[in-house]
Amino acid sequence: MCRAGWVSALVLPAPSRIWDGLVILFTADWFPQHLWYTTAETLIGFFIGGIVAIALGIVMVNARVFKEIAYPYVVAFQVMPKVVLAPIFITWFGFGMESKVVMAIAISFFPVVINTVVGLESVEENATLLMRSLVATPSQHFWKLAWPSALPSIFAGLKTSLTLALIGALVAEFVTAKEGLGTLITTFSFELKVYLVFACVLVVSALGLALYGLMALLERKIVFWRRSRFTG
Amino acid sequence: MVGAIDVVKVGKVFSAVEALREVNLSIRPGEFVSFVGPSGCGKSTLLKLIGGLIEPSTGSIAVDGKAITRPRRDIGIMFQTPVLFPWRTVLENVLLPIEVFGLDPRAAADKARGILKLVGLEGRESAYPRELSGGMQQRTALSRVLLTDPPIILMDEPFGALDEFTRERMNLELLRIWQERRQTIVFVTHSIAEAVFLSDRIVVMGTAPGRVLSVIDVKLPRPRTIEVLKTPQFGSTAFEVRELLGVAHY
Repeated sequence: MCRAGWVSALVLPAPSRIWDGLVILFTADWFPQHLWYTTAETLIGFFIGGIVAIALGIVMVNARVFKEIAYPYVVAFQVMPKVVLAPIFITWFGFGMESKVVMAIAISFFPVVINTVVGLESVEENATLLMRSLVATPSQHFWKLAWPSALPSIFAGLKTSLTLALIGALVAEFVTAKEGLGTLITTFSFELKVYLVFACVLVVSALGLALYGLMALLERKIVFWRRSRFTG
Repeated sequence: MVGAIDVVKVGKVFSAVEALREVNLSIRPGEFVSFVGPSGCGKSTLLKLIGGLIEPSTGSIAVDGKAITRPRRDIGIMFQTPVLFPWRTVLENVLLPIEVFGLDPRAAADKARGILKLVGLEGRESAYPRELSGGMQQRTALSRVLLTDPPIILMDEPFGALDEFTRERMNLELLRIWQERRQTIVFVTHSIAEAVFLSDRIVVMGTAPGRVLSVIDVKLPRPRTIEVLKTPQFGSTAFEVRELLGVAHY
């Protein structure tokens, strides 16, 4: 189509051109650094955000009062489009990796909190009665019952949040960054090297897919008792 | 002998609904007693009260003279659903109480295997609950209760979700186990036949409000086999329960 001149190369380059772009990216010595930058931002944001979110979820389930107070804020934070926070984070945390990590955390935080809370609260009632009949301590109830019970839900949240963390990192890079796949995309866009933009987009997609696949694998190992269609 | 249960003037109200009204009941050690009644008669509530899972609104319950205000480790409970942890194998599920009690599971593993063999689950120790049928899952739950050898076992319609034939087999198995160990068993069911087949005495309960209508003796000889279903005494006892429940005439 492109070759026939029906569509401008600026809008949709020919696949062969995009392939050229990919070749350029993967043979360039400056490329791995960008790929690594974005991946690192995503993973660091995901880990920190995930741990904090799970911890927050656990606290919310165990402290009713805290949940009543915190929940409205968490929801309010979630419905706010985090993309508008990107410039603020840049201002606060600078142009380096930190602001991108913060962005990744901010955008991926909520699904994990809510899934942790839901998971911990949806323990089978008879199972709780069973533990009570055995006079289990709260700690035993948590580690032997509530936590494993909640893992399927938590992992579902983590899979979503990993994807979102990648988006967060990219968005922050769009706003301003020196390195990363998002930076490449904006730079190539300005330079009108559309075929390189598309090549980068493909790389981003592949990265997202790879990360998701990794999570799915981890899920299958850890939450081995649940076979869901979405376990990949 | 241990395992005497005394229910004195016990009532229970849930948010202005009287679930149970003035129950007085004494269960002797080693007795097999069933609670029978329609939905809403408070039989499960009474069971949970005995187990210390809920507190009575009025009256008190004592086990071997000691008042029950909270659950006790020497009272075993079996629920309508197996309540197995899907992330644990059969053996690990059976060993759960031992872990919670802070004892060494490895030492109890042999005993656990023995009980699994007793209930017919030999060879299934490493299976996960999802690989088992409903009957097998309930037998696993039964093994879990038996492992700690409690003098009192409370069972809340444990075989209700099973098909008739599996239920019969489970009833026979339960009686077989009980014959040897003679725990006090309190068995909740809404099957009149099951209650008559299993019990020494039947507590017949009514609804609105939940209360005890009558307690009748089951004078069928032991050990009970399936042949007992042929006897006229079985039929007349069952019908006696029927009449008390008000379902003898349609």
